[in-house]
Amino acid sequence: MLAAVRSATVVGVEGRLVTVEVHVANGLPAFQIVGLPDEACRESRDRVRAAVLSSGLAWPTSRVTVNLAPSNQRKGGSGLDLPIAVGFLAASGQLPVEALEGLGFVGELGLDGSMRGVAGTAPMVMAMQPARPVVAVAGFREAQGVVGDSVRVATTLREVVDALNAEAPWPAPPDDEFVDDEPPPPDLADVRGQASARLAMEVAVAGGHHLLLVGPPGSGKTMLAQRIPGLLPPLDAETALAATMVHSAAGVRLPPGGLVRRAPFRAPHHSSSMVSLVGGGSTTLRPGEISIAHGGVLFLDELGEFAPTVLDGLRQPLEEGVIRLARARVSASLPSRFMLVAATNPCPCGGGAPGSCECDDGARLRYLRRLSGPLLDRFDLRVGVQRPDVDDLLAVGGGEPTAVVAARVADARLRSVERIGMLAGAIPAGRIDELAPLDLAARTLLRTELEADHLTGRGYHRVRRVARTLADLDGEHELVTEEQVAMALRMRVRLGVTSRGRAA
Amino acid sequence: MSGGLPSEAYAAALAGLRGMTLRRLAALLRHHAPADAWAVACGERPAEGMAQQIVADREVRESWAKSARETSPEEVWARCVAIGAQVLLPGSPGYPALLLDDPLAPPVLFARGDLGVLHGRRAAMVGTRNCTAAGREAARRIATGLAAAGVQVVSGLARGIDGVAHHAVLAAEGPGRPVGIVASGLDVVYPREHRDLWEAVANCGLLLTEAPPGTAPEAFRFPLRNRIVAALSEVVVVVESRERGGSLITATEALDRGIPLMAVPGHPSSRAAAGTNALLRDGAAPAIDVDDVLTCLALEPLRRVDQPGDPRPRPRRDDAAVYDALRSQPRTIDGVALACGLSLVDAAMRLARLEHAGWVAETDGWFECVGSPLR
Repeated sequence: MLAAVRSATVVGVEGRLVTVEVHVANGLPAFQIVGLPDEACRESRDRVRAAVLSSGLAWPTSRVTVNLAPSNQRKGGSGLDLPIAVGFLAASGQLPVEALEGLGFVGELGLDGSMRGVAGTAPMVMAMQPARPVVAVAGFREAQGVVGDSVRVATTLREVVDALNAEAPWPAPPDDEFVDDEPPPPDLADVRGQASARLAMEVAVAGGHHLLLVGPPGSGKTMLAQRIPGLLPPLDAETALAATMVHSAAGVRLPPGGLVRRAPFRAPHHSSSMVSLVGGGSTTLRPGEISIAHGGVLFLDELGEFAPTVLDGLRQPLEEGVIRLARARVSASLPSRFMLVAATNPCPCGGGAPGSCECDDGARLRYLRRLSGPLLDRFDLRVGVQRPDVDDLLAVGGGEPTAVVAARVADARLRSVERIGMLAGAIPAGRIDELAPLDLAARTLLRTELEADHLTGRGYHRVRRVARTLADLDGEHELVTEEQVAMALRMRVRLGVTSRGRAA
Repeated sequence: MSGGLPSEAYAAALAGLRGMTLRRLAALLRHHAPADAWAVACGERPAEGMAQQIVADREVRESWAKSARETSPEEVWARCVAIGAQVLLPGSPGYPALLLDDPLAPPVLFARGDLGVLHGRRAAMVGTRNCTAAGREAARRIATGLAAAGVQVVSGLARGIDGVAHHAVLAAEGPGRPVGIVASGLDVVYPREHRDLWEAVANCGLLLTEAPPGTAPEAFRFPLRNRIVAALSEVVVVVESRERGGSLITATEALDRGIPLMAVPGHPSSRAAAGTNALLRDGAAPAIDVDDVLTCLALEPLRRVDQPGDPRPRPRRDDAAVYDALRSQPRTIDGVALACGLSLVDAAMRLARLEHAGWVAETDGWFECVGSPLR
């Protein structure tokens, strides 16, 4: 007897359709899986057999062959347990083959016959369309985010079998969906002082600029960075779906409702490996932190402590918004359009007011050399963060709350997109005169800065983009004014060995 | 032993031996002619006088003998000649008379440049390597004035204040010349970014060390170098110094030799001025501008024509408030906005104007007043 069941596996963030063919025949008792299964997949033999027996179903002494088609593709993960079990039951005559029509199965089985969710449910469900997915309760949110209410859920193999035999209705889906159990992101109102760092965050989000916070330990760099996601507008439908796929494929918990709507915030530790950051692995190409941060913020605290090769791996995705991973047998493109926020000390001792640094120039140089020039070039904004004044700390009431700033940011983003079709941070160098024109006074100020050798060519473009965003935040400005340029110039701390070093 | 070598070659080679200290070298050369002293160090000859006690130490004897086998006076001499270094022994012509009576006179000196500049008036300018913009400005102003008044500026060619002072002397192109006293060999430039400065000092003034060519800038050599800086000067001006630091060693050496000490006052809250302010409290004379130093040297203060009026445009009235806020202490842009009750954008505008006019300077996001104060 033969049965074919629709299922899927995941590579990168894409589901790939897999047809599970099960053949049950007379012969020496055996159970074989062919079609390039990986280790977890091959082990499903034992899980499936135990689950079938624990569910009170029969395992006849026969020769069972499972083929995972297309058989030249490597398959990984435990999500194929359920389709193999269902296929076996159909092929052994315990289920009507017609009942499998129009359904797709994804789920891991426990030895007791219970069903467990698997990472990547969302992209797998996507790949199985238009089949109605049958998933574990744990995968309900993800599946629902993709295909809506046509999802079937079950908690045990027995429930699936009963429903397919029409002996019982499909179990009702859990209805906990719209309880928003995520804590809201921390609020900007908690931050005392730090006027220029606050402004820099506002500008960074409004213009899509990457942001580097430079300051001594304890000055609040991390506290500030954690408040950036609250400023970001909710994800648009397309980004939300892409982010959901990535979260699901990486096995990161999804919010209620199944769709990632809020901008993600990822803060990997500086010991993170290259693969954990950009993604990889041999069969499944699991998404890395940069993909999980798609549409949101990737925060790298202590930037200088990351391995230099890891940081250099960020350059291509920063440029293109996707990361293309290739291994001998598989390759995949993963979305990775994120806002990079990084924090670093100015030198090993943390620095501070002029004349208070303990480091000699050699130590400073070694420290700064870890931050490669090409990476530093990606930061339009480099702002100094200092420990807040005592007056600020003792002041009654905090600063502006997130909601107020977020509203301004949303306005500015809208204005920019309406005017030039993009955010100022994305203006290419060649079109900067066309898309971010200056008024006369602003031009004069920039000229004097360039003549005084305070600014290099690259720095010049960065300042102009930032000034354009400041103009967008300020209201309807066709031309960028002198004030905005002066402010942009101040958001560009020089990171040099000597104080005479130029800002790149 | 070859006959044609001058005795300076043996002294130079002795100074480079491992385990050779200033006092051991002085003792050796006091009791032996340099060529004989070399033979003693090689173990080919018994020592005499004080040197006997030194050679009695087996460790010293062995390390001398070992490193003497690795080098030769001929090699050292060839190297001195190659880099154009003069080797000076006490008593040889050119050896600075000022050092002859010093309690710790250098037994051998290596020089490049014009030894005659030491006959002129001499002031030392020393200070911290981690200087502030204000300190750099003060050093530049005083050094420029000294050069214009024909005073030689003696310094250590280190980063920070030392380098600024010598740069200023060279830029002033006045009659005063730079005198650089370094701790490493004359062919081992340290810090490396001062390569051009070394050359310029050797060409326009004098470069002096007691380390033979090829000697690395080992930490213990710097305090010893400082005693020569003090000994060669008529007055020592400390521009900026922390509560501890090399420039305070120079100050102590000056006091030991009865050389007048001056310090540039700094703001009480500035860490870079902690050492200089302490010197002032302990009785050093304040050096607020170059005239103070000139007065100490019993020279005429510079005439006004030599000190042109401030060419910077006076700040506008609302900019002046920002300038005033920065006079007491360096501030960040946040600090300026807070102190003056300005919005960030206004503060940025005013700072941009002040910076452009040359009244303030930015380092690592901090703003400081520079130049002579606005009166």
